[in-house]
Amino acid sequence: MEQGVFHVPGLPFDFATPLGLTAWAVLAGVPVAIVALYFLKLRRKPVQVPSTLLWRRSLEDLHVNSLFQRLRRNLLLFLQLLIVFLVMLALLGPRSIGSSGQGQLYVIAIDNSASMGAKDVAPTRLARAQAEARKLLDGMESNDLAMVIAFADSARVVSNYTSDKRLLRQRIDAIEPTDASTSLREALQVAAGLANPSKQVGEGVVAAAVKTPKLKIYTDGGFADVDGFSLGNLEPEVIVLGPAPPAYVPPTPGDATSSRAKSLGASDNIAILALQTRRNEEKTDMIQLFGRVRNYRGEDVATEAKLYRRDAEQPGGAPTLVDAASLKIPALSERSFEFDIPDTGAAELEVRIDDEDALAIDNRAYAVVGSPRKAQVLVVTPGNKYLVDTLKTSTAAERADVVVINAEQVKQDPFARDLKSGRYDLVIFDQFRPESDPQSNTLYFGALPPGKVYAESKPVQNPVILDWDVSHPLMQFIRDLSAVAVLKAVAVEPPPGAIELIKSNTAVLAFVAPREGFSDVVVTFPLMDGQNFNTNWFRYISFPLFLFNTLQTLGNARDAGGEDSHAPGLPITLRVDEAGEEMEVVAPSGRVDQLKRTSQGQFVYNGAGKTGVYHARWGKDGALAFAVNLFNERESDLATRGLVPEGTPPEQTDQYKIKIGYSPVAGSSKAVPERKDDWWWLALAALAVVIFEWYVYNRRVYL
Amino acid sequence: MPATKSPPLLDPEFLHKLEQLELVSRKIFVGRMKGERKSKRRGSSVEFADHRNYSVGDDLRHIDWNVYGRLDKLFLKLFLEEEDLHVYTLLDTSLSMDFGEPTKLHYGKQIAAALAFIGLVNHDRVVLNAFGATLDGGLPSVRGRSQMYRIVQYLDQIEATGESNLAASAKAFAIKHTGKGVVVVISDFLDKHGYEEALRYLLARNLDIYVIHVLSREEVEPELAGDLRLVDCEDADEAEITISAPLLKRYKQTLNAFVGGLKDWCTKRGIAYIFTTNDNPFDKLVLNYLRERGLVK
Repeated sequence: MEQGVFHVPGLPFDFATPLGLTAWAVLAGVPVAIVALYFLKLRRKPVQVPSTLLWRRSLEDLHVNSLFQRLRRNLLLFLQLLIVFLVMLALLGPRSIGSSGQGQLYVIAIDNSASMGAKDVAPTRLARAQAEARKLLDGMESNDLAMVIAFADSARVVSNYTSDKRLLRQRIDAIEPTDASTSLREALQVAAGLANPSKQVGEGVVAAAVKTPKLKIYTDGGFADVDGFSLGNLEPEVIVLGPAPPAYVPPTPGDATSSRAKSLGASDNIAILALQTRRNEEKTDMIQLFGRVRNYRGEDVATEAKLYRRDAEQPGGAPTLVDAASLKIPALSERSFEFDIPDTGAAELEVRIDDEDALAIDNRAYAVVGSPRKAQVLVVTPGNKYLVDTLKTSTAAERADVVVINAEQVKQDPFARDLKSGRYDLVIFDQFRPESDPQSNTLYFGALPPGKVYAESKPVQNPVILDWDVSHPLMQFIRDLSAVAVLKAVAVEPPPGAIELIKSNTAVLAFVAPREGFSDVVVTFPLMDGQNFNTNWFRYISFPLFLFNTLQTLGNARDAGGEDSHAPGLPITLRVDEAGEEMEVVAPSGRVDQLKRTSQGQFVYNGAGKTGVYHARWGKDGALAFAVNLFNERESDLATRGLVPEGTPPEQTDQYKIKIGYSPVAGSSKAVPERKDDWWWLALAALAVVIFEWYVYNRRVYL
Repeated sequence: MPATKSPPLLDPEFLHKLEQLELVSRKIFVGRMKGERKSKRRGSSVEFADHRNYSVGDDLRHIDWNVYGRLDKLFLKLFLEEEDLHVYTLLDTSLSMDFGEPTKLHYGKQIAAALAFIGLVNHDRVVLNAFGATLDGGLPSVRGRSQMYRIVQYLDQIEATGESNLAASAKAFAIKHTGKGVVVVISDFLDKHGYEEALRYLLARNLDIYVIHVLSREEVEPELAGDLRLVDCEDADEAEITISAPLLKRYKQTLNAFVGGLKDWCTKRGIAYIFTTNDNPFDKLVLNYLRERGLVK
């Protein structure tokens, strides 16, 4: 039994007092003290009167009266004793039987994704969510436990199970908005994992019994339905923050758009959903900037996309307006824009849309141009001229520094050491099987990577290429493999997780297998068989394309035309050539993070929570800028999801609900307060008595 | 609650009203001067009162010879003698009178001034005395309308002081003033020694006594609340009370008993008793109330 909980037989209450024995002893002294104070002389207010003659006579008469009269004089005493009694009763903590001794478990999940920063609910959706969560805390009983999870693209446990409301309130208030996307699945997984508090280690209370936790999700519904997730014993309740959806409009026959789309309709936002930079193919001294803007409003919008440029040499300097494009965007649709700017070296570009809307962060998009990095490629070959020549074309040379060695050199320093230290981005083994995996991506021709998974293999003759995976980045633009002939190949079972790239009638001819953060691309047939060709692949355009794709994908090369954009909240892998072990990254807010090189030879930055341009610095003058952009249609779409519009026919309500697993969960715009503590009413009664006493005292009500 | 600035005792309009009045005495006294009043003493005036049998030593000039001629018996003609009246006013100036709004003292001064004025207008001898613990020297008897300023002057300088001792003051008064007439006692009678002895001294002088009992509104309907320590302003006696409905009820009963007791006591002894509170407009009191009670005609 919980401490301080006891039950008096015959009463429909049990008592759960938060006070200990000492506190009760002190409390018991209070009424005694009040009575004692009354028996001691009251501190009476002196009033001068013409004569006490008549009062004395009255008093003498009264003294003769009954004890009851005497007691009636001390009405205030009785009122005070009544208050003390009520307060003591309240502190006994009476509860209706039925509310369990252990208390309810709450899992409070608060969405702090980018869309929660929208100001369409004053002050922001997140602030409202925090306020609603605090209300839930207010309604919690003293022995209820709650944990707090903040979730965006990943979920984070902000507070473990505790009944300390002050701490919970602090932790909830400390939840900061992020610019990340939303994944309810993450939150649900964390909640489900921690739903049973006996698993909990460390800070917080460990509850003994298994209770069904109530999961309160404070969100705006900006996430995909969570498929294939079993809620298990979680009881979810979604509190949807954001403006209520417009009333249900019955679908008109012949109207393509469903009533749901109409109802969910518009929200007050204009968002840049994409921004890409590319070197102009025709004029190589120009950089092209493409972007896409969506108008989520229910009305046409005329606005302007402004392009600002900031010199990479002066990070933090004032941006200069370079160009602007006027945009007329019809309601609920997109328009693209394009800027052509001269390539003047490394620069940071920013596109702004100046319209005032509910969500500010998607009105800006960032891009970084002009900081190319070449892939470091090591080729181990017995002297395959065709392979080496293909890697030395001007297009390939732009992207990669290629070092060619033979099988003898690779066993000696410095190459043996460099392979272990991750010096190279990509190592191409041509008919050479190394003894151990290098700390880099690899491409094998006619050889298998080391390791037991490749132990079983058998040779095959004249395989006929039947199919290849054109969707894979390595196989981009490759169309003519059907004409390629192969004489000898090795049939090997690709390891688990591998993606088959080229399939023949008898064996897989190429696959890509993951290995500790690296990729091994294995082409199971050699290019040359001694001095003879083993394949005619050299004769087709797909061979240089395949190599180029490999350089591009596995060489960590960066095009001067522009760096890929990163999404906020996700880890960013940075590769730098120099062998420095440390790097610092300056966030747009000015925060500086120190990074250490991982064993894979790269730097992983986890602090890109906000959009903007980040600057990495290392060594003497190593510098790299990268952009973090929201570019998330779901986050930018502020239309509230999860609330059933007014007037929706009951059979259609399911489509508006948030689906978790197979069960639609209806959202509510306000959480139902769950107040079960009965002492609250006693405290109110005490207050009422105080007010009554005040009234009696001040309004001269003589009873 | 002493009044800092007293309003004027009498305003001209009120004085004019007073002129219409005349003091009346229900008893007729012998005075030193022949005044406008009838005296109980049969004497040498023009108004016939009665006959009586002649006895040896009577003034032969008063024998009614016409009756002797008809009845052959000697009768004396008796006349009502007109003489001037002493109007004594005893004003309580103890500290307890310094309460109320206006203060009971101020109210009493107004009554005293009004009565004095009426007396002066009617050529009565007006004597004013203030008393607290003892009787003060008072205003020596004045007469004639022109002396009104002295009355006002005297009343203006009176301030509330000390305890009240009705008995001692009445005794001193009785010894000092030998003249007969009307005595008006203005007091709240909140004297812990009682009022009976005092009034007996006055009764013994065979004076025509009027008691004007003045209480403040606060005394009649106390506006007190809470736990209080009442301090007597005169003797600093303290009474601790907790205001409650029964206590207030009891107080009112006590007050009624006190007022009723005084009234009964007076009525039984031929003393005219008038109760008033300080919020009763004093001109109304003088013009209507006192007239009804026979003090003013």
